[in-house]
Amino acid sequence: MEKETLRILEMLNQLSLTQTEKDEVITFCNNRENDLKTLDAIDTANVERMVHVMPIMTVVREDVVSQPFTREALQAGAPETDEGYWCVPRVVE
Amino acid sequence: MRYETVIGLEVHVELATQSKIFCSCSAHSYGADPNSHVCPACCGMPGMLPVVNKRVVDFGMKAGMMLNCHINRTTTFDKKSYYYPDLPAAYQTTQWFAPVAVNGLVEIETSKGKKNVRIKQIHMEEDAGKLVHDIREDTTHVDFNRTSVPLIEIVSQPDLSSAEEVEAYLERLKTLLRYAKVAECEMAHGTMRCDVNLSVRPEGSDKLGVRTEMKNMNSIEAIKRAIEYETARHIDAIENGTEVLVQETRRWDDIKGKSFAMRSKETAGDYRYFPDPNVMPVVIDDEWYDGIKATLPEFPEVKRERYTEEYGLSEYDAEQITKSIALCECFEGAYAVCKSAKDAANWMISEVMSILNVRKMTYDMLTLDGAVLGELIMLVTDGKVGRANAKKILSAMFDDSTIKPAEYAEKNGFIVSNDTSLIEKVAREVVAADPKAVSDYKSGKEKALMSLFGKCMKELKGNCDPQTLRTVLINIVNSL
Amino acid sequence: MKIYTSKKDIASKKAIIADDMMLTADMPTAAGSKMLDGYMSLFEAEVLTRAKNAGYDLVGKTDVGEFAIDLVGETSCNGAKVKDGVLLNPTAEALKTGEVKAAICLDVNGAPRRAAAQNGLVSVKPTYGTVSRYGTVPVACSGECVSVMAKSALECKELLGVIVGHDDKDGTSLSEELCGSAKKCGELRRVAVLGAMEKGIDANVEAKLCAFKSTLRNNGVEVIEIEDDIIAAARPAWNVLMSAELCNNVSRYDGVKYGHRAQNFSGIDELYTNSRTEAFGELLKKAILFGSDTLSTENYMKVYDKALRVRRVIVERFAEIFKEFDAVLMPACSVMEYTEDMVKENKSLSFEENFYTAPASISGLPAVVVGGVQLVGRAFSEGTLLGAAELYEKEGK
Repeated sequence: MEKETLRILEMLNQLSLTQTEKDEVITFCNNRENDLKTLDAIDTANVERMVHVMPIMTVVREDVVSQPFTREALQAGAPETDEGYWCVPRVVE
Repeated sequence: MRYETVIGLEVHVELATQSKIFCSCSAHSYGADPNSHVCPACCGMPGMLPVVNKRVVDFGMKAGMMLNCHINRTTTFDKKSYYYPDLPAAYQTTQWFAPVAVNGLVEIETSKGKKNVRIKQIHMEEDAGKLVHDIREDTTHVDFNRTSVPLIEIVSQPDLSSAEEVEAYLERLKTLLRYAKVAECEMAHGTMRCDVNLSVRPEGSDKLGVRTEMKNMNSIEAIKRAIEYETARHIDAIENGTEVLVQETRRWDDIKGKSFAMRSKETAGDYRYFPDPNVMPVVIDDEWYDGIKATLPEFPEVKRERYTEEYGLSEYDAEQITKSIALCECFEGAYAVCKSAKDAANWMISEVMSILNVRKMTYDMLTLDGAVLGELIMLVTDGKVGRANAKKILSAMFDDSTIKPAEYAEKNGFIVSNDTSLIEKVAREVVAADPKAVSDYKSGKEKALMSLFGKCMKELKGNCDPQTLRTVLINIVNSL
Repeated sequence: MKIYTSKKDIASKKAIIADDMMLTADMPTAAGSKMLDGYMSLFEAEVLTRAKNAGYDLVGKTDVGEFAIDLVGETSCNGAKVKDGVLLNPTAEALKTGEVKAAICLDVNGAPRRAAAQNGLVSVKPTYGTVSRYGTVPVACSGECVSVMAKSALECKELLGVIVGHDDKDGTSLSEELCGSAKKCGELRRVAVLGAMEKGIDANVEAKLCAFKSTLRNNGVEVIEIEDDIIAAARPAWNVLMSAELCNNVSRYDGVKYGHRAQNFSGIDELYTNSRTEAFGELLKKAILFGSDTLSTENYMKVYDKALRVRRVIVERFAEIFKEFDAVLMPACSVMEYTEDMVKENKSLSFEENFYTAPASISGLPAVVVGGVQLVGRAFSEGTLLGAAELYEKEGK
């Protein structure tokens, strides 16, 4: 894994690593990349991907409203709220 | 050199379901108290699992059929990851690999004639929440009521070339989706929003220029202005080298009348789409597909033609009524009862639509039961209620949907009297009180009779057959 | 280790515990992460409701490794539980005291199976879709299952019996009929052993396998070694799927709605980054970054999509094996105990030790750990596997 790739990954995932951590992540990912050779050895040319392991069935629900949770309960553990809103630092200039 | 503008649109339409797409919270977020329609799932808490709202698939399919799309009979949901405060789980569940509908076609008409716009795809997805920036200076307030409200995104091919075409296309989408009753499509309510992808190239060239995207446009007027501004900006850059065009997302500021590049952080990134393991593929079997197909409405043009050919309406009347499915349904309901398409159309256009206009309601907001309107028309046709009184009844019917015209007319003394002696008595009194009008009439001023007629009608509270009154009045005046 | 204890009588005959991946409305749920320390859910896991309705008392919760992807719980934000340098699994320790009858766990990456194997306990990871995941902290949703751990196969069977069943709130939950078929106990006649899956085990684990094989043979079960070069690919494929799904599932923890928020930040991105960087542990960060990388535009087809295709190859390979065999016998871990030194030396050990647990995780097949080893069976055969476990308990000691 390249340093630049890691920098982008950190940004995408909102993480900021120390140099030691970066080195360890690169080692970790490189080990995983070796693993990928095992995958490459398996011929999947005519195989469809499998997301769901069990038989596919359509699961839908009826369009009915039910709202058992109150705002107060949902915001009980919130770091910051105001007038019923969750709050974050201003996001527009 | 002459240039042409190449435009593709991504139109987001909120579907008119009761509940959200993956949880059971109410989907009616417009105007609600902040965070009053939320649950652990739609505010990003762990543990709840998405279960697809069937009506969302119904409506997605129906929209696809209205826009002549191919319906994917196995349609799947995927996750799109990015961080923004309006996205509580930091991913949006959308359709990336197998959207519900693909390869459609929409016909539009502009001053230059008819044109087909190709639809690339329609996918179903969840909406994001709403950010409020004007409560406190340093803080953005987050409201998740709109989170997970179902949307379809209609992606066109870059087949549009002017603001006029864009407007015609958006109006066409609105009409078709409203006809199918899958969406409100009201830009002012945010139930229809639009991203505009635009590039400019020398006329006749087959190479596309640098494309910029303007996000979340929410009025047709703003879109038209933005297209004109962007086109000019691109041409200026190409011709005069005023700036270097880059592929980017821009924000349209309608007050300043300018577009601005957005901070790169907001737009950068890899969305890392992957299939959602928690949502099984939705398989649309023949029964489901045919069931939806059977509920498709007649297209506006088909209706218009039927109205002129079958019902004998004028082109103009047919055009007016078919502007909205609500008008059509009211008209057809009234016609079924009163059996006169002409009368029904006349009432629709000169009364119903004008009340809507006065009340500043859109045509789609009409909820009047056509059958009841038909009953009212019958009362007038049968000479039981005068037209002026009938209008009063109609107005009352707008306020109270339980009103039955005949009962209401009775209760309010709107029934036409057949008592000719009463008419004669009133007419004699009116004539006696206005000798000048009588002499005017006799000296050839037709209008004077109308004045007498009006006074009589007023005395009789409108409850009189106009033809009878006219005859009686003429007889009296002539006998003097 | 932290055991949250509710007020209930721990001496109750039907006392059970849940690991901290199960959401509870009357006790906090941290999933082993500082991010969720003290987090109170507004609802509880469906399986806990079902267990309570069947008369079980949930008396407490046991700690897990951060989002349950580690070996046996050593990456918890509360620190590893260690005795004489050996890593202990909090759930297994609680069961060994004898005060509770059984435990409900989330088997994301095999930790409950490894813990059961190393502590002489029984663990059953049921067929994917037969037990509701509603109210579990999501990590790797395409393969993780609610599992049961207890001292005996019978106790596992009893508790599993009341939590199995269709749930409308889980879109991957199977029909009542299919779920019901998982309760049936069939006969175990032929068991396959894959030489390739015994790679890396030490003498102690080998002894457990030998003992198990002879008990089976003594009871008339055919144990046959077969060649296989597919099943071993489950580990790298599962590591890709698990990490990518994990990356996406833990992205919701950002310091805005609930959970840990950094003290110092300026602007939204710092709020996110500082909160996550402070609250997440080393292994989790690695898994997030690796998982994210497998989904990048550049890697998606050659890594993530590839892993999804390999999953099908593995599922089909198992189906082929199960035409002739009723179960596959394999280890659940390479050693009978993990030490602090081992994880210091190899910081990605749990992404290697899952070699033995990944086949059942990636394929959704049921797995029962008993006598320190693991039986993987065809879909809906957990009843049969538990029957075999009971037989082993009777005959093998």
